[in-house]
Amino acid sequence: MVMTRGRGRGMRGGMMRPMGPGPHFGPKMKQFVPRLPFDMVLCESAFPRVKPAPDESAFTQALLKRNADLSPTPAEQAAVLNLVTKIQAVMDNLIVDPGNFDACQIEEVRQVGSYKKGTMMTGHNVADIVVILKTLPTKEAVEALGKKVCDDLRSQEPQEVLVLTMLPNDRGFEISNSEATVRVLVTTIHQNLRKLDPELHLDQKILQSHLAAIRHSRWFEENAHHSTIKVLIRLLRDLRGRFEGFEPLSPWMLDLLAHYAILNNPSRQALPINSAFRRCLQLLAAGLFLPGSADTLSAGISDPCEGGNIRVHTAMTLEQQDLVCLTAQTLLRVLSHGGYKQILGLEGNSSIASEMSVWDGVVVSALEKAYEKPPERPPQDDDTDNMDADDDPMETTDN
Amino acid sequence: YTFEFHTATALPVYMQQTSQPAATVAAVKTTGNTWQTFKKPGTMQGKTQKPKAPPKPQQLHYCDVCKISCAGPQTYREHLEGQKHKKKEAAAKAGPTPSRHGASLRCELCDVTCTGADAYAAHIRGAKHQKVVKLHQKLGKPIPSTDPVVVGGTTKTSTTTAGATVGAKTTTSGAAATTGTLTAADGKKDDLKDDLLDLKEKDVEPVGQEYIEEIKNEEGKVISFNCKLCECRFNDPNAKEMHMKGRRHRLQYKKKVNPELVVEVKPSLRQRKVQEEKLRRQQLREEMWRRREEERLLEEEERWYWEERRRYEEECEYLDWCRRYPRGPPGPPPMMPPGMPRPPFMPGMPPMMPMRRPDSSDDRHVLAKHAEIYPKEEELGAIQKIVSNTEKALKMVSDYLAEVDAPKEQQVKPKAKKEKEDDSKGEDDKKDGEKKEDGPPRMLKGVMRVGILAKGLLLRGDTNVQLVVLCGDKPTRTLLDRVADNLPKQLAVVAMEDKYDIQRVVEEAALVVQNIGEQRISVNVTLTSPIMREQLLHDGDSQVIAAKDPPDVLDKQKCLDALAALRHAKWFQARANGLQSCVMVIRILRDLCQRVPTWGPLNSWAMELMCEKVIASAGQHLSPGDALRRVFEALASGLLLPGSPGLLDPCEKDPIDAASPLSAQEREDITASAQHALRLIAFRQIHKVLGMDPIPPPKFQRGGRFTRKRRRDNSTGEGNDSEGELDGGDGKKDKKEDGEDSKMDMDKETK
Repeated sequence: MVMTRGRGRGMRGGMMRPMGPGPHFGPKMKQFVPRLPFDMVLCESAFPRVKPAPDESAFTQALLKRNADLSPTPAEQAAVLNLVTKIQAVMDNLIVDPGNFDACQIEEVRQVGSYKKGTMMTGHNVADIVVILKTLPTKEAVEALGKKVCDDLRSQEPQEVLVLTMLPNDRGFEISNSEATVRVLVTTIHQNLRKLDPELHLDQKILQSHLAAIRHSRWFEENAHHSTIKVLIRLLRDLRGRFEGFEPLSPWMLDLLAHYAILNNPSRQALPINSAFRRCLQLLAAGLFLPGSADTLSAGISDPCEGGNIRVHTAMTLEQQDLVCLTAQTLLRVLSHGGYKQILGLEGNSSIASEMSVWDGVVVSALEKAYEKPPERPPQDDDTDNMDADDDPMETTDN
Repeated sequence: YTFEFHTATALPVYMQQTSQPAATVAAVKTTGNTWQTFKKPGTMQGKTQKPKAPPKPQQLHYCDVCKISCAGPQTYREHLEGQKHKKKEAAAKAGPTPSRHGASLRCELCDVTCTGADAYAAHIRGAKHQKVVKLHQKLGKPIPSTDPVVVGGTTKTSTTTAGATVGAKTTTSGAAATTGTLTAADGKKDDLKDDLLDLKEKDVEPVGQEYIEEIKNEEGKVISFNCKLCECRFNDPNAKEMHMKGRRHRLQYKKKVNPELVVEVKPSLRQRKVQEEKLRRQQLREEMWRRREEERLLEEEERWYWEERRRYEEECEYLDWCRRYPRGPPGPPPMMPPGMPRPPFMPGMPPMMPMRRPDSSDDRHVLAKHAEIYPKEEELGAIQKIVSNTEKALKMVSDYLAEVDAPKEQQVKPKAKKEKEDDSKGEDDKKDGEKKEDGPPRMLKGVMRVGILAKGLLLRGDTNVQLVVLCGDKPTRTLLDRVADNLPKQLAVVAMEDKYDIQRVVEEAALVVQNIGEQRISVNVTLTSPIMREQLLHDGDSQVIAAKDPPDVLDKQKCLDALAALRHAKWFQARANGLQSCVMVIRILRDLCQRVPTWGPLNSWAMELMCEKVIASAGQHLSPGDALRRVFEALASGLLLPGSPGLLDPCEKDPIDAASPLSAQEREDITASAQHALRLIAFRQIHKVLGMDPIPPPKFQRGGRFTRKRRRDNSTGEGNDSEGELDGGDGKKDKKEDGEDSKMDMDKETK
């Protein structure tokens, strides 16, 4: 009797609860309405042109020239391709037939980064490969793998001079010949990430970043294969290299920014390179990568490879966000007064971002930082129990 | 085993048992009890029993239920208290256990159920059965036939056998009853035979012969068998046969050799137990889920409650705020004193939507600043008074001029007009229309408010407002003089107690009315005429050009400006007034333009136009703080810089940039200033932009910055992106900054 009742209840319960305890939804999820900063491209219709757009062919030509200068030469490309192919082959061999190599087992080998994306720059002939280990990534395993790969390469071509370098923080190793370098970044399969021991294995964050790199290159392949995007990324990377204020921007942020600037427009057609380049500076100047105001958080760019609406720029500190923004603001003004050659590095130097300059009689002054470090003060009681999370203006900066 | 022996030894026991008809258990207990009270109180039953049980025949301790004999009374008692016995006893009481599967054979004597004829035969041959038989013979108990009793099977037999079993069990002493049982069993013998046949036919095929190896001795004689599948040994060939048919063996075979083999399901006791256990656990789990669900619902309910509560408090706070700033932006500002016939003096007041959350830090600063710059009631009153008086007086001047110019009509018109004097501005237009129909055009057709007066952009300290008088023809110096001459008289009529000073500013095509008092307010009255622009619009038309201007016509550009001001006022009322936060932001920016020299060159019209475009293009409602920030964002992204689309003036025929008066340097400076301001706003220093003291956050805090998700795991990884440049040490920096963030938060909260 009891049993029957029990079963009956069990079944009822089972129907009520389809798959265990579902995710708990709050009574009313506050809808996140991102408030994009002002973006001229998105509200062009509200601003009809008073006079026809100025001729920008010279600027466009300069951009294309700069891109040509920055692109790797065919020889460089061949050299790096050659080395990557060889290493990939050695690794593939290790997957298929590990032989007596038992220091680690390789699950997968993937090409990532600028080499994979086609955004390499000349003079920086480095390709990235991520190796996913099936076994746990001990430091010894990484070393052994490096040695093994290097030995195999040498045995294939004894005359070639190869240098094996271990990367700092045990991220992996680097194999270089006279012309190119291949950086092998080590990570492990997801299941292993929980089993890591900081004493024995590589840093989890580094491993995760290497996994993220794979996601990034996959996303890029699917979404950002447009040539203009690649050209723009190269130009932005160059900008980042020359202007100190852009240093905090990570390559991934630049990838996303370039993609956004070129494709996120009403017509969904790729913008021409000159508009897109200016738009990047305009977006940064308008505070795309700044913390938002309280309720409607600044949208930034949401990371397409991470869940949970993480905005890429929040990887920067507030101070860095300020710096990036003010650099873009100054450069935008320089650009609008015709200083594109200096911005592209065809003329002059990077002082235009930090010092006063004169363009056609107009004095362009550099900006000062707005971010202030809050004064030290003892932590106050603060209402810890208050769990309403959605109107903290500073929330943007760190999630 | 002889019969004599059997009867002889069994007799005393038999007698004793008959004298105490209850089961042995009961006998021992009752006797023990009496003895206990009789002889040795307080001692244990068992101990007293032994010496007090002198009859030696009692040596045989037989349990009838379990059909076993015990070596001594103690073991016997232990047996009686044991689980095995209790179970059997309970089973006996409950009646024969129904067979669980098909038919089975049962040995009455040993109370053993066998699954098949072979098993039964083996049992009968077995040592255990023999022992029981011997025992029963010893006790002189009846020995049932070795023919098996079929249990289960067809319903017919099952009932009879059930009866027989019960009978056999209960009649432990009565010989007659025993024979009765036996006869009953005998009577059914034929049926039983059939059943047995059935059973035999149904017998399963032995499987896995090849896995049973024979173990031979030196002489080659098979002495035992070994089943490789089950890893067990047996000596008896019969046992081997049975094993091969056995369930266990078959299961092993199925598992190891042929998975296709069908093995009947036999829920063993253990399995059943396991299943029951499972059920019980499931039940428990259900219970737990149910409870958890309930808790969850409760919690949710509570959350709802707090959410409601929070909203309520928020609204309270909002109302409170309104009360504290009674003339603040959220509510319509107090308008004219009652009785004033004019429409609200500040038509520029946007219908403020009750904002859901006017309480972001930026919003609070903007609202507070706005309340600060919004004119005081007395100021508004004073301005209203002089404007109203001037308007009335101008109306009378118009009447006077009309009288003078067209004496025929003077009888009728003035009265009609006087009635309409107090009418709204809107009626002025109507009157214009009427007059046009009436006859010769009036010189002064109407008076309109323009500029900050019409747009409702008056700020505290503003003392200069604009009126425009539309003239029927191109305004001339003569006309200006005539108006200026007559106006003081009319003003004296309109407002006897107030004194006004009137000046002509011919180069401005205007005259200025100023009140004489401690608060000097001046009203600029500009004369203009639509005809001035018509000429412009029909540029190519030779006829219009041919029309000669009067020699003393007033400055053309000034007149055109006044007309543009009229259009701007109309545009403003149509576009900016209805736009949430827009008018407030424009007031704030007006203040900024007055306060900060860099922003001075930005003309009012360009600023208004820009604000409207920028705020409207957001495509969503913006709070005051967000709207202001967006304006700065637009400027920071180069809205005023060369190369931008510019601000197309909607009130002009030709494409004109409303901000065209700005020089390149001024544009550059305003942009740079806006860029800095934007970053100040982003980093919580909006008070610096607004030129005010920071406002501490309200007491009622809703900022739970403790729930926010930090982005620790990702920050370092991407900070020095694996694909790109290598630069270590990012992680440390990041962490430090994180700390600063929270400090900054804290700072803001506690300020």
